[in-house]
This record gives sequence, structure tokens and C-alpha cells, in this order.
Amino acid sequence: MANFRSIYKIQIFLTILVHVTLALYEDQVGKFDWKLSFVGKVKFVSLEAKRIIVATEENVLASLNLKNGDIHWRQVLEDPKDYKLELLHVNKEIVTVSGKENTWFVRTWDLNTGTILTEWFINTERTVPSLFTIVNEKLLHIVPIRGLQVEITSYTLANAENTNGSILKGISRKIPAAWLNKDSDCVPAKSYIVCAVSSKLYYVDLLKENSMFVSQSLADLVDNSAGKVLLIEYKQDVPSVLLLKNNIAKLGTFNGENIQIKPFNLMPNAISISNNGKDLIYQLEANDNKNKLIKVKAKDPQTGLDSFSLDLEYPLGLGAPIILGGQSKGSVTDLLLSTTDDALLLVRLPEGKILWTREEALSSVVASEFFELPISELDASIEHEFDSANDILEMFSHRISTQIKQFYNLVFGNNLLQNSGLVRDEFGLHKIIVVATRAGKLFALDTLTGSIVWSYRLPNVQSFIGIDNEEKMLLLVQRTAQYAPLPAHCVLLAQDTITGNGILFEFDPITGYSKAGIQRLNYKIVQATLLPYQDKNFLKPMLVLSQDEQAHVYPTQAVSLIKDHFSTMFLYVADTENSRLSGYTLKYSTEDSLQVTPSWNVDLAPSKLIAVSAKPANEHVHSQGKVLYDRSVFYKYVNPNLLAVATMTSDPIYNSVLSVYLIDGVTGLIIYGTSHKKARGPIHLVHSENWLVYTFFNERFRRNEVVALELYEGHWQNNNIAFSSFALSQLPQVQSQAYILPSIPQTMAVTLTERGITNKFLIIALTTGAIIEIPWMFLQPRFTNMPCGPEESCIPYMPEIPLHSEATINYNQTLSGIHGIEVAPARLESTSHVLIHGLDIFYTRVAPSKTFDVLKEDFDHVLIVLVLTGLIVATLATKKLAARKALKQAWK
Amino acid sequence: MKQLLIFCLLVWLFINYGNCIEHDSSVVINLKHALSGGPNPVFKDRGTITIPSLRLSQAVVHQKRLTDVERIQIQKLANDNDLYRINATVIANDEIERSFISTIKACMLAEAELDDRLSVSVDYMGRVIGVSLVIASKATCEGSNVSIDKLGEFTTNVYVRHTETGIIPDTATYIDKLQKEKEAKERDDHKDNRSFLAKYWIYIVPVVIVMVISSATNPEAQGGGQ
Repeated sequence: MANFRSIYKIQIFLTILVHVTLALYEDQVGKFDWKLSFVGKVKFVSLEAKRIIVATEENVLASLNLKNGDIHWRQVLEDPKDYKLELLHVNKEIVTVSGKENTWFVRTWDLNTGTILTEWFINTERTVPSLFTIVNEKLLHIVPIRGLQVEITSYTLANAENTNGSILKGISRKIPAAWLNKDSDCVPAKSYIVCAVSSKLYYVDLLKENSMFVSQSLADLVDNSAGKVLLIEYKQDVPSVLLLKNNIAKLGTFNGENIQIKPFNLMPNAISISNNGKDLIYQLEANDNKNKLIKVKAKDPQTGLDSFSLDLEYPLGLGAPIILGGQSKGSVTDLLLSTTDDALLLVRLPEGKILWTREEALSSVVASEFFELPISELDASIEHEFDSANDILEMFSHRISTQIKQFYNLVFGNNLLQNSGLVRDEFGLHKIIVVATRAGKLFALDTLTGSIVWSYRLPNVQSFIGIDNEEKMLLLVQRTAQYAPLPAHCVLLAQDTITGNGILFEFDPITGYSKAGIQRLNYKIVQATLLPYQDKNFLKPMLVLSQDEQAHVYPTQAVSLIKDHFSTMFLYVADTENSRLSGYTLKYSTEDSLQVTPSWNVDLAPSKLIAVSAKPANEHVHSQGKVLYDRSVFYKYVNPNLLAVATMTSDPIYNSVLSVYLIDGVTGLIIYGTSHKKARGPIHLVHSENWLVYTFFNERFRRNEVVALELYEGHWQNNNIAFSSFALSQLPQVQSQAYILPSIPQTMAVTLTERGITNKFLIIALTTGAIIEIPWMFLQPRFTNMPCGPEESCIPYMPEIPLHSEATINYNQTLSGIHGIEVAPARLESTSHVLIHGLDIFYTRVAPSKTFDVLKEDFDHVLIVLVLTGLIVATLATKKLAARKALKQAWK
Repeated sequence: MKQLLIFCLLVWLFINYGNCIEHDSSVVINLKHALSGGPNPVFKDRGTITIPSLRLSQAVVHQKRLTDVERIQIQKLANDNDLYRINATVIANDEIERSFISTIKACMLAEAELDDRLSVSVDYMGRVIGVSLVIASKATCEGSNVSIDKLGEFTTNVYVRHTETGIIPDTATYIDKLQKEKEAKERDDHKDNRSFLAKYWIYIVPVVIVMVISSATNPEAQGGGQ
């Protein structure tokens, strides 16, 4: 009885103990963390005097400050995977339409605060692509139905306030349009709908009652040459449209039943900006001047004559721009540009100066990696003192010069550090984060400030589509910065947008310098991995497997280095289409030809492969065993080749079944398998040391569950010198335990430290925007029939994981659209770097076992010096006194 | 005798996962092996394994004795430190064929004197998802030369390995524990339901007596002073 109570008390105490240390003091906010907020690639824009209202591909509605581009407010709508923003209209209020297939939400927002005012939805029976436009405060929903008609439903926005949240009744109207086919292209132009079908242009004025489509031959309107005519929306007071053929646009304006084509050519990205009732056409053109590649032109809408032309100070690193929108006020015109690499920039005319740039590519990070900074030149010269030769004189002069430099730095301060700042600090807390984005742009971020150190744009590059449609690129670190004077070396693997072939980009992650530039490979990449061997330049070779099962090694000359290791080189490939995992060996390779031979396979069909997780390659397992209550050791099963695989099976009885398998990546042996019935994804796997944690949604109990699996070899260790997947005398014992997670996880990761001594924390991103850390100790499966208490450093089992608000590492900085978590060790054993990316990028440091290896900030150095000197003085004094006393005693 | 000792030493601890497959079915596995080595293996018949009931996990193994040529081939594979590969074609009740390959080091097979284990993993529905050949051994190869006489016949043990039923949060025990705690607390409360005085009178009474005595002596002394 008393035992239970004490257990409970201890439990509470432990919980408090673990958590109290996590919380942040108020004055620590922003001290070692930072957050960058993004809106995503801008789709629609509206400039409203001092602010810019943007609607983006990431389904975000935001208001930006015109002066500096800062986010004034931001509203994140539904998941962009399902829902798309279809319309943005700003009058007194903002109106948005976002939805999918046949369901759309119509929302109105307050312009100043971004608060939602009304919301109602449109539901149709047909799932055909449709258009939305707003004319005279009426929302028109236009559904073109192939071979039949165009259905137009008009909703009066003013009525919307009364019918908040329900379906608003619209007035429908059908206009026969039997000519509509799958190639037809329709755009709204004020009250008109304009459609281009093969050789004819159809248009109709919707405001007129009983109006019918008027047709015109396209050959009469634009030139007679071959090519398809595309329609582009063109916004101005007079209903008009751009007719694009062979990259030349013509402006057509409607007047009653007539269309007038202006006699001049325009660029496809031309827009109209009105200033005091006078319209001007603005467009961007390529420039011959090599330093200023882009020029902006303003044309008169009647004559097409240039009224203004200016070469832009366009930065080199950005992609090709288009004009999204603009506004004129007096002599000043602001143009908002969007580039192919998703950047957003504001140009102010007539100076042509770029006021600000927002790198929206960072809102979709597909790969990230932390890099240690190089040591300073001085430290490097000290380190290399004995490298050079056996020449004593040379070594002597080297030492003298180094020490002079050292002395100089001591006296005058280290100017090198002040100059670049990109020098390694003592604890490895200052790092560079390299991120690859979906738009194919690489960025390096500074961990101290979050500022962009460099960026590099890779044209025509896209990410791989991985398991469960996850977009991914690969960043492989071939050499870190610790081999000064050799620079760090990193490789990005992605695929070509056009051919789908592999792309290899080698660069120095600290400076962003690339000697070879982009290398386009002539094969599709299936798998790639770093090999654990180093050549004489400390470069780790990279092995790439192509779709036709050919292996390639980069750098190519490294084959001679790895030729002795072919028999211990294995690869695995996960085929999501056929739900197969296959293993390959390189044993039969020779230096001249790399031979990939199949060695095992696992066939999971008809289940769907939804996640595969290998352990982090740079992980160290410090403790090989767990000490039990009777002081015996239970050895961990630490198999570096272990893969965790999750599959989902549709089942007639259980709806869907989640299976998790642990498979040896070398032999293909299924070490363990477990299945959860009535489970639903998304599932998240975290695989580390000798354990696996996964989360899923339990449909039966309607809750999220977390399962922890831990593998042990038992009381004796099998193979204590080197691990071999082939030598297996005993299957590992699997301990498992399940928990309820009282929240919805979005993604998960585990902390990683330099030596693996520090406790492990799970870092879970929740859909609420909070990032919480949970000690692994909370989840670690308890041994049955063994006592569990503080003496065994074991927390008694609780079925529900407590989520304390103190465990939120991003305190009040809510993060939206979290996509991934990247963790890297600092040189300080206690600390891990954490980067959370998504619509926001958040960086912080976590110390799972507190910062046991650093003195506290408020440590009193003066006091300890005083105490020590006092003690020394006292020792000396008492020694003297003692000696005098002894002398006196002797005389007695 | 020696073989028995090795067998005892290397206890193959396949945990019996329990009978959790939905539908019991029988499975026939046609085993082929490659004795030629090299990157393009040529698979030849090795034997047939019939598992009449996946739930009972018992297998009937049918394998021929190896011919002298085959023994020499295995010995050669082992001496060359080559790989020994098998190709298992699994024919299930529903006549769906699945083919699996598995690879081990030939020298380990020779050193184990053809004593191998076949792990047949099935998913929750009883579909075979993987067939792996395993040699129970603590180390990879010792490099000993195994005589050809010992490479006579495969002594294959087949293990059908089921998928474990997923664990669920153990709320019942926890609630039970909390209940017990509550009860224990109540019982404690009940036991100690006496008043403060009733509980600690043995300590209070001596103190009171001492105080009474001292206060009784003091007025006398004071009075004596007056």
C-alpha cells in the first residue's frame, strides 16, 4: 500500500524533475532560437496602398508590408495537398475562394487584421474544373461542361453575412456551348467569359440577359501561323484578354459583341496599371546588357508606344521574373515580381530599385543538413605544425611565426574572426545549415542569426518522389570542414524536371562555391549512399544506383579505394509500386565494372509501403547494455543494418491494417513483425540505437497511439567485437509498449549528440504548431516482472503520455505547416541542434540532460578565485605558524 | 556428439509469436540453390518444403542427399569465400506464386555442416512475405576446411514466423493500480481516523506532566522569594 503511494510520489517527482529543467526563462527567448516565416509561392496578389495582399500555392492568405515585405498578418488555410486557392478579390474586404473538386469555401476577411468575417461554401454535383470571378459584387461560379453548356451560378456577396456557414442559394443560368472539348481553354474577363477552342474564339457577356456565345475565327484575330492560342487573364477596367501565340501576346478588348485586337505585340506577363484614370501596360523584357539582364517597359494601351523603359538592377542569383501586380501613385510605380525560384520582390519605379526580396522557396524545404564551420587559419596552422616535413628549421620558423600571430591576435583581437565570422567556435554551436528547396534553390543559413549566408539556384531541378509521395532531395556530406585546409564538400542529388534523370551538384557548403557546377547524369537515380571509407583527400565516396541496376561511384577514381571492400557493400531498394524491398550485393564487382547482384527480397504486396526508416548514419551508441535491478546487464541489439518498414493493407473486416517490420538490410531476414488492426496513417517512424517508435491513429478507440519497440540480445552478447548481420545465433528479444498520445503528431525526430552519452529525447511536431520534447525514458518499454522505480531509473508505466506545456521547445512561437525536423549534434555532448521546417523555419538547441558540460551563465568566477586565494593564503599562514609553534615547542 | 554440442550451444531462440493469423492455409515451397557462384547464379533443385498448416508451424522437409559433384561445388564455394544463394518459390493455397531469394556466406554453411534454418515470415493474413536462409553461428567464418564427408545432407529446420498482434495501451492495469492506490489511501485514512489527541496522547501526557510539575515548583520558589 505504502509502496504504491511512494511509487506515485516518485513518479510525480520524476515528471517534475525532468520537465522543470526544460522550460525556458523569459530572458532566454530568442537568445539561441530564431524563426523565419514564409507564405509560399505567390499565386494571386493585390496591392492596397501600404500593404500587399497575397494568396499563395501553400494555401496561405497574408498581408505584407509594402515598405519592407514583412508579414503583417498571415492566415493558413487548409492543407495545400487537397485544397487550392482559386480566387482572391480585394475591395473593402478580402474575398477568397479555396477548395477542391466540387467543394469550395468562400470566405471574407478583414483587410486590417486578417480576421475572418464570413464563411460559406459552394457545393456542386459535378467534379469538373471551374472558374470563379467577381463582377459587381457578385461571385460568379462558371462550370464549363464539355460538349454541352456553360453553367453559371451567381451569388450575391452582400447576402453572405446573413447566411454565415450555410449554403448560399445562387441564381443559376445555362448557356449552350456544344463546342466545348477537352482542349478548350476558358478565362473570365470582367463580365465576359472567353474560350478558345481549336481555331475559334467564343465569348459571352454574362451581365446581359439571354446572351449567347459569339464566335470569331482566331485566324482573323491573330496571325495565321500554326500554333495553339492560349488565353491569359488581363485585368483592367475594360473587359480584355491576352491572346498568346508562339510567345507573342496580343491584347483583345471587348465591347458589346465585338472584340478589338490592339495592333501591337506584348509579352505574356504584361499587366495594366492605372494611375489617375490613365492606364499603362507594364511588361518585363530580356535585355542585351549583360550586367542588367532585365528591363521594364511601360506602353501606352492605345498606341502600344513605349512611354518608359528602364534597365533593372536585377540580382544575379534570382530566376526569371514575371510581374504579378503593381500600383501607381503619382510618379511612383511599384511592381511586384515573382521569380521561377519562388522569390517575391518589389521594384520601385522610376528608380528601378529593388526595395526588398522575400525568398519564398524556403517555405518548401526538401532536404537539410548541418555543417560544422572550418577552424580559423591560425588554429589550422597550429594543427599542421608537424604535417609538413622533418626539416627542423622549417618547423622552428613555422612555430615562431604561428606564435607571433597568436600574440598579435591576443593583443589586437582576432580580426579574422571579426571579418568573416564563419569560424568554428569552441563548442560547435555555430553552424551552417544548408537547405535544398522544392524550387531547386540551395540556401545556407547561419544558426546564430538565421540569416542567409549564400544561395545557389539550380535551374530545371525537381525533387524525387519518395515513399508516400514525399518530396525529397539528397544532401550527402562527403567531407566535413575539419580537414583544413581542404574545404568541406557536399553533394546534392535531385532529378531533372524534363528528363527525370539524376542531377549531381557538388559544392562547398560553407561558401556555396561549386567548381563543376550542375552535372546532369544520363540515368535515373534509384538509391544513393555514402561509403564509410575515405580517400587520401578525406573524401567519402558516394555510391549511386541507377534504375537499370548499374552502380556508379563518385568521385570515379575512388573505385580503387573501395575495391577491397566490395564483399561488404550492400544496398537496398524500396519499390513502392510493387511493395517490394530488394537487397543487392556488390561482391562480384571489379575495379573496372561495378556489378550489382540481387541478394534478397521481401514481397509485401498487396500491402502498400508507406514508410521506410534506417538509423542515422552518424549515430553513436554509448552504452551497449542496460543494467537491470539485480546488477546484471541486458545487452542491446544494435544492428546498424536494421530497417524499419511500415505497410498499410486494406482489409474487408478491419478497414485498414498497419504492419511494422524490422528487416535486416544485409540478409533480408525479417527480424520482427507486428500488425495493428483498424489503424490509420499518417504513420511516423523514429529509429535509433536499439529501438523504434511509431505513431498511428487507432480507428477503434479514435486516438493517436505511440508504440515503442526495444530490441535486446539478452544476458550475453553475441558478437562483441564487430557486428555481422550474417552471424546470428539468436533472434533479438523484442520488448514493446504502447501509449496514448493526447494530440496529433505531424512529424517526429530524435535528438542526436556527439557521443551518444546524453539521454535521448523525442521531438514531436504537433498539428497545433507546438514542438514538444518527450524523454525516451517515458516511452522505453518496461520489463515485465521487474521492479520499476527510481533505483532502477525507471518511471512507472502511464498509458497516456503527459504533454506538459513546459516541454514545448518553441514556447509561444506557433509553427504552421510543419514538414520536417532535422537534428544534428553539437560538439558539446549535451547539446543538439534542431531545425524545424515547413511554412516557418524554426531553429533552436536542446539539451536533453541539461547542459552538464558547461558552466552556468551566472557562475561566479570572482568568488571562486577569491575563495581559492584565501585558502592558499590561509594554508601558507598556518604552515608558518605551525612551524613557529614547533620551534617553540622544541626550545621548551 | 560434437554436432549435438554445437546444437546445444547455439540455441535458436525463435520466439513463438502465437497463433494470430486470420486464416490458416497450407504452403508449398520449392527450394532451388545456386552452387556455381559468380554474379549470374544458376539455380538447381534442392528440395521441397510443405507446410500443411501455417498456424501449427510444422513443416515437412524433403531434400535429397547431395551428390559428390554438388559437395565439391559447395566446398569450392566455401573455399572461394563465395555466396550461397537460394531461390524459394512459395505456392500458397490461392495458387499465387511468389519468389524469394536469400543469400548466405558459403563458408558458414560448410562450417555448420549444412545445418541451416529457413525462416518463413508471414503477415497477419497468412501471406508469405519473406523467406530467408540463416545459419546459427556466433561468428561469420572461422576459416576451417570442412571435409567433404560432412557435407552430405541438409538438415533444414523450418520456422514459420508470424506477425505479432499489435500492442495496445494498457489502460486497464493502470486504472486498476490507481484504484488500488485510492483504496489503500482510504484504508489508511480509515485506520487513522482517530483524533489528534487520541493518536499522540502518549507523547502529550508526559510533556503535560513535566509542565505541570515545573509550573507547580516555580510558584513555590517565587512564593519563597516573597
